[in-house]
Amino acid sequence: MKRLYLLLSFLLLVLPGCDSFLDDKPDQKLAVPATLADLQALLNEHDRMNHEVPNVGEISADNFYLTDADWAALPNEQERNQYVWAPENLFPPQDNEWRRNFPPVYVAATVLETLPAIPRTPANAQVWDEVKGQALYYRAHQLLQAAFVWALAYDTETASTDLGIPLRLTTNFNERSTRPSVQDTYDRILLDLEEAVPLLPPTRLHALRPSRAAAHALLARTCLAMRKYAEAGQHADAGLQLQPALLDYNTLDTAANYPFQRFNPEVITEHFSWGVSLTLRENIARVTPALYASYEKNDLRRSVFFRPNGDGSYAFQGSYGNDSPFGGLATDELYLTRAEATARAGRVQEALQDLNTLLATRWRRGTFVPFTAQNAQEALALILQERRKQLLQRNLRWMDIKRLNKEGAGITLQRTVQGRTYTLPPHDKRFALPLPEDVIALSGMPQNPR
Amino acid sequence: MNRILLLLSFLCLPSLAWAQQPVRGRVVDAADKRPLPGASVAVKNTKTGTLTDAEGYFELPVLSPNPVLLVSFLGYTPQEISLQLPLTAPLVISLRQNETRLREVEVSTGYQQLPPERATGSFARVSEERLNEQVSTGVLSRLEAVANGLTVDRGTDARGRLTVRGLSTIQGPRDPLIVVDNFPYEGDLNNLNPNDVESVTVLKDAAAASIWGARAGNGVIVITTKKGRFNQPLRVAFNTNTTITGKPDLSHIPQMTSADFIDMERMLYERGFYNSQISSTNRTALTPVVELLVQRADGTRSEQEVEAELQALRGLDVRDDFDRYLYGTGVNQQYSLSLSGGSASNSWLLSSGYDRNRDHLDAGYSRLNLRFQNTLRLLKRLEITTGMYYTQSHSSSGKPGYGEVTMLNGNLYPYARFADGAGNPLPVVKDYRQPWREAVGNGRLLDWDYYPLEDYRHSRGSSDLQDVLANAGLHYTLPGGLSADLRYQYERQQTDSEQLADAQSFAARSLVNLYTRLDPATGNPVYAVPVGGILDLGHSTLEAHSARGQLNLDRAFGQHAVTAIAGAELRSTAATGSGTRYYGYDAGNLTFGQVDHNTPHQLLTNGRTALIVPGNTLQSTLSRFVSLYGNAAYTFRERYTLSASARRDASNLFGVLANDRWKPLWSTGLAWNLSEEKFYRVDLLPLLRLRTSYGFSGNVDQRRTAVTTLSYRPNVSPFTGSPMAIFSNYANPELRWETSRMFNLGLDFSFRGERVTGSLAYYRKKGTDLFGRELVDYTSGIGNSITKNVAGMAGSGVDLELDTRNIETPRFTWRTHLNLSHSRDKILEYYLSDLRGSSFVSSSPLVSGIVGKPVFSVLSYRWAGLDPATGDPQGYLDGAPGKDYAALLGTDVQLEDLRFHGSAIPTFFGSLGNTVTLGHLSLTARLTYKLGYYFRRSSVNYNLLYRNGTMHADFADRWQQPGDEALTDVPSMNYPAVANRDTFYAGAEVLVERADHVRLQYVTASYDFTKDTFRGLPFQSLQAYLNASNLGLLWAANKRGLDPDVQLNRFPLPVARSYAIGLRASF
Repeated sequence: MKRLYLLLSFLLLVLPGCDSFLDDKPDQKLAVPATLADLQALLNEHDRMNHEVPNVGEISADNFYLTDADWAALPNEQERNQYVWAPENLFPPQDNEWRRNFPPVYVAATVLETLPAIPRTPANAQVWDEVKGQALYYRAHQLLQAAFVWALAYDTETASTDLGIPLRLTTNFNERSTRPSVQDTYDRILLDLEEAVPLLPPTRLHALRPSRAAAHALLARTCLAMRKYAEAGQHADAGLQLQPALLDYNTLDTAANYPFQRFNPEVITEHFSWGVSLTLRENIARVTPALYASYEKNDLRRSVFFRPNGDGSYAFQGSYGNDSPFGGLATDELYLTRAEATARAGRVQEALQDLNTLLATRWRRGTFVPFTAQNAQEALALILQERRKQLLQRNLRWMDIKRLNKEGAGITLQRTVQGRTYTLPPHDKRFALPLPEDVIALSGMPQNPR
Repeated sequence: MNRILLLLSFLCLPSLAWAQQPVRGRVVDAADKRPLPGASVAVKNTKTGTLTDAEGYFELPVLSPNPVLLVSFLGYTPQEISLQLPLTAPLVISLRQNETRLREVEVSTGYQQLPPERATGSFARVSEERLNEQVSTGVLSRLEAVANGLTVDRGTDARGRLTVRGLSTIQGPRDPLIVVDNFPYEGDLNNLNPNDVESVTVLKDAAAASIWGARAGNGVIVITTKKGRFNQPLRVAFNTNTTITGKPDLSHIPQMTSADFIDMERMLYERGFYNSQISSTNRTALTPVVELLVQRADGTRSEQEVEAELQALRGLDVRDDFDRYLYGTGVNQQYSLSLSGGSASNSWLLSSGYDRNRDHLDAGYSRLNLRFQNTLRLLKRLEITTGMYYTQSHSSSGKPGYGEVTMLNGNLYPYARFADGAGNPLPVVKDYRQPWREAVGNGRLLDWDYYPLEDYRHSRGSSDLQDVLANAGLHYTLPGGLSADLRYQYERQQTDSEQLADAQSFAARSLVNLYTRLDPATGNPVYAVPVGGILDLGHSTLEAHSARGQLNLDRAFGQHAVTAIAGAELRSTAATGSGTRYYGYDAGNLTFGQVDHNTPHQLLTNGRTALIVPGNTLQSTLSRFVSLYGNAAYTFRERYTLSASARRDASNLFGVLANDRWKPLWSTGLAWNLSEEKFYRVDLLPLLRLRTSYGFSGNVDQRRTAVTTLSYRPNVSPFTGSPMAIFSNYANPELRWETSRMFNLGLDFSFRGERVTGSLAYYRKKGTDLFGRELVDYTSGIGNSITKNVAGMAGSGVDLELDTRNIETPRFTWRTHLNLSHSRDKILEYYLSDLRGSSFVSSSPLVSGIVGKPVFSVLSYRWAGLDPATGDPQGYLDGAPGKDYAALLGTDVQLEDLRFHGSAIPTFFGSLGNTVTLGHLSLTARLTYKLGYYFRRSSVNYNLLYRNGTMHADFADRWQQPGDEALTDVPSMNYPAVANRDTFYAGAEVLVERADHVRLQYVTASYDFTKDTFRGLPFQSLQAYLNASNLGLLWAANKRGLDPDVQLNRFPLPVARSYAIGLRASF
């Protein structure tokens, strides 16, 4: 019996020690996000944070065309529908650009919810701020890209009633998605970016890591889309103060298939999509002939951006990222935005100076003759023309068409497939693409009106 | 009549004289003279009888001077003993163990050996004899055909999943717990040598399994290994066999004919489908037919040349080449030798086994097992058990099978040829276009051809496994029926794998070429990937410690008996792994090259840059359990048994609050030995026992946690050099354990003379808080679905196991063994956020989540036939035939518009074995059956056909002209393909078939040579046996000859037949 007691007391002694025995991690790679290092590691996952942007805007725009055979060979009818601005069934269920747009928003929510639990001390203040700034930047970036595609152009008249992009600000995935107004969407983007500006390091540590210049650049893009040109110009200027570098295209190897290196000095923050739609693959997306014809002989972009396909058509090879379209932020865009803002403000010389600074690096050395204009109108036309020629396949043209039509540009898009002509007139409701139908079914959100 | 009366009274006369003199005696085991308590002693032809007491003694009033006693005890051969009274010496009756019978009744739970008459739970025991009717390298594969209540689900999982009594969970882990002797086996189950197995017990209900706690929700399979016995002379047993497996019949692969495939490629070529690939700088491969058409178009080959070549290709079938050059006959050899013996204080067993397999594709597997087991009675009260089990195995890759020779990692064109007429290897198209490959390097590149008949020699994988399992146990007997056990087990399994693509392999050559830059000035190649092989080494270690302290009570007083155990257990399983890759490897002198993984390198194909993957990994996982458990059974008058069992488990689940870790689980049971009752007079049915139990068990998935967790990537970012992490789990604070309740009612019976013995059990189970996949609005940023405790399910079923002795004569016997199980499950609750029909139709069975329907249900779209004008498949939209496929797959077709067929998992299953013995010859045939379920057959998918070359032979039956819709359901070929049209057709009701089938699992014949007939035989016993298994379908409900068990495989190849011959001897 004594031995029995001995055994029992042994068991009693052993068991209280169990909690520490059970405290060891089941997998060494697992962690509960709790430290700044953990949060930074989540933000570092660039395949998710930087490389998931919707390209369907570029597909809908007018920089390229498909042959009938290549259109028919597209594997999914949704891709074929996107090309002809079909009113519905543009996204396959479950895995589509809508889905891939939102994980960075969830990461941002995780970071912003976790940060208050980490004391900000003098020792960690810089890192703490940078982590917060990055989260805000990424959220704003994804919301803005989505707004370009799935919402109508910002218009102060209708922004408070037009359907915007769901603002998933918390990690509670049980919360139902709702559609705020376009106004609320842009307000949130501006709020996030303005908060991010002072938190981020002034210039890029790496093109995959957002900087203050990036926040300004994104603000410039946001304000431009809202047609708040003065603010767009100010932010473009602030961005260029921090990162003014331009790439001299004369230094590029024009014989190479892909003359641009990733992370070149013009890149402020790199974004593009790894899962780029087949429609935009360079072997089928042929450059619109009129667009190609607009590049002058001494314009180096004619050879570094394009490659002949051998049948008289041209392929685009000028992505600043690994794949087209490059959806990131770069200084060329800022020069053009600042130029547009100053031109619209009537400061013609300032505007032309920006334009010429940029274009001097695009022309064959010694051949560039600076552009001139008689008035602001002419300058603006020049700038918008060069904007189109510099920023093709950058996920910007669709937004530009939408906002310029609001300015009265009257751009009508037209595509002919197998003898049938499809037209998208200005202000058509289809400028806000339909949300994937299964998201509508799952969430009960209102669909964009057709 | 008068005479009889006279005779009777005469007989009665002397007996009266002995009326007052009871007979006293004792019943013991013949082998170790152990008393047998509870043995039945009866006087023949009277109603007088009694049971022996705890020390084996009995006392009987006897009325006759020379009575005949009938002595029986479960598991022992009954004896008839004629006595001459009065007795001249103490009466000791020795009963001999009836080995087969004993094994059929004694059950092991892994914590205790349970006497059958006190068991309240449902157990299915498979004896060694029955296991040995099959020949195989592993143990578990034998269970499907013989164990009751157990089946292998191939309707929802292509690999096949052992399930006990159907489903208990929806999304949680579904595998039963495998216990070897006393502890769960953590290593590779292929390590176990079937020749070391004495029996397998399946613990089916809550009372049986709940002692295993959290992991018992899906049933427990206890494998009991052979042990030495005390007081046993040296016994040597030997077994050897050779199994030949035939080639698989490749005609079951629904491949398109080459002629059809070529016609399709020509159509696509003419429609411009390949235009973008032809002009692409990616240089991705085109099939030989498309290349021929390109050559014809650009004038490098003449029209006639091309047509002649196409004509020649039309007659080819790559399956012929697979059959001829790659598939062969598989040969498995197995040897085992064991020695066992025992003295009064020691018993031991030493065994060894060696298996050597070579499959039909020449992949090798060899295994060496060494086992030592020893029990020592140190003191009168102290027993020490030690054991050691060592396994070493080696596996190596073989030739590529169908589907493993791929173009662009997809499918191979059906007119590929592997060798020319003289048998010389031919290259097939692999990753990049042939004309480009030939032109690009000016001969400066490595050979870029891929030869399937050569490449497997240069691209080899192998792995070596070593597993050591050591255990020690102390058993100490205390006074008062108490005893204490301390057990400890250590297991370490180490696996080293090697994957080598040597310098001649296609994989290495192609990678080197892809990253080669040709110097523009000299044309010389500059390598980013060093020339040589690519070697991947993997190393993993698994280390498990298990410790258990247990107190046992086994005590009888008067009419009461109590058996109880209580204990505590700790288990810890740590697994670590690492992988390393070497580029430019040269096995000859063990050198390797350096690669810059952080700089993007230019690709030769299109000039883009890409990183070279480092391929190094590190892993470390740990799972820990602490458990407290107890189990008690109280028996009154040997008739009524009440049992209860309880257990608490805690684990190191990540992110679970400490007070959620402990999960109490319990069960209770009742058994009534009806046939022991005084009022029980059914002579026909001398054994009748009723059992019932109810219990509560849990299921837990280590991967699911209640807080947001992130997982660090093995490599830091090549660009920023900083660590990266992804979410591995999203915060789900409501996450709880799955729980499952089970009620069981069982009946054990035995007819007179054991002509029919068996058990029948009915069970109901109910799972609550089950993990279920809930579709989420992916705007949330967490993907399409999340796992939550959203589901409830109910299951019920009946298990019947019958053994009958149909004919029993000394020369000839015929016995039958039947397993019949019925198992049904249905969803009780499930959160469904989306009722679109398309969420419930999928090519691979999904959890349907429809309340009242089986967990895995087969549902389909209603079929309105093919459009007579176009051959388009049609469904129903608003009650009328329609072919707006986006609408058919969208919100217009809701769940209620679908056709419900039934379960995707068999609802009736089991096996039927018949054994006939004629003298020394024995013949067993066993069939297995699965009934009452459905499967979806595959058919043509034009979208995948055009994109990846995914073929289906139904293509030949497609609608081609008006009128065909009366003859076929296969849609017309359309271009461009509409994926939704293919998806609709794949889910249509015309492709759903009944899966019911019966197959002949095996036939075994054996001949026993015994000393009686073969004098001078140097063996105690010698048996020669022949076995044929996987003999194919006897009957299937579907009319297409499809084997439902292989329909989820990528290629539905039925398991090939195998034939074994073997010899078993002991002396």
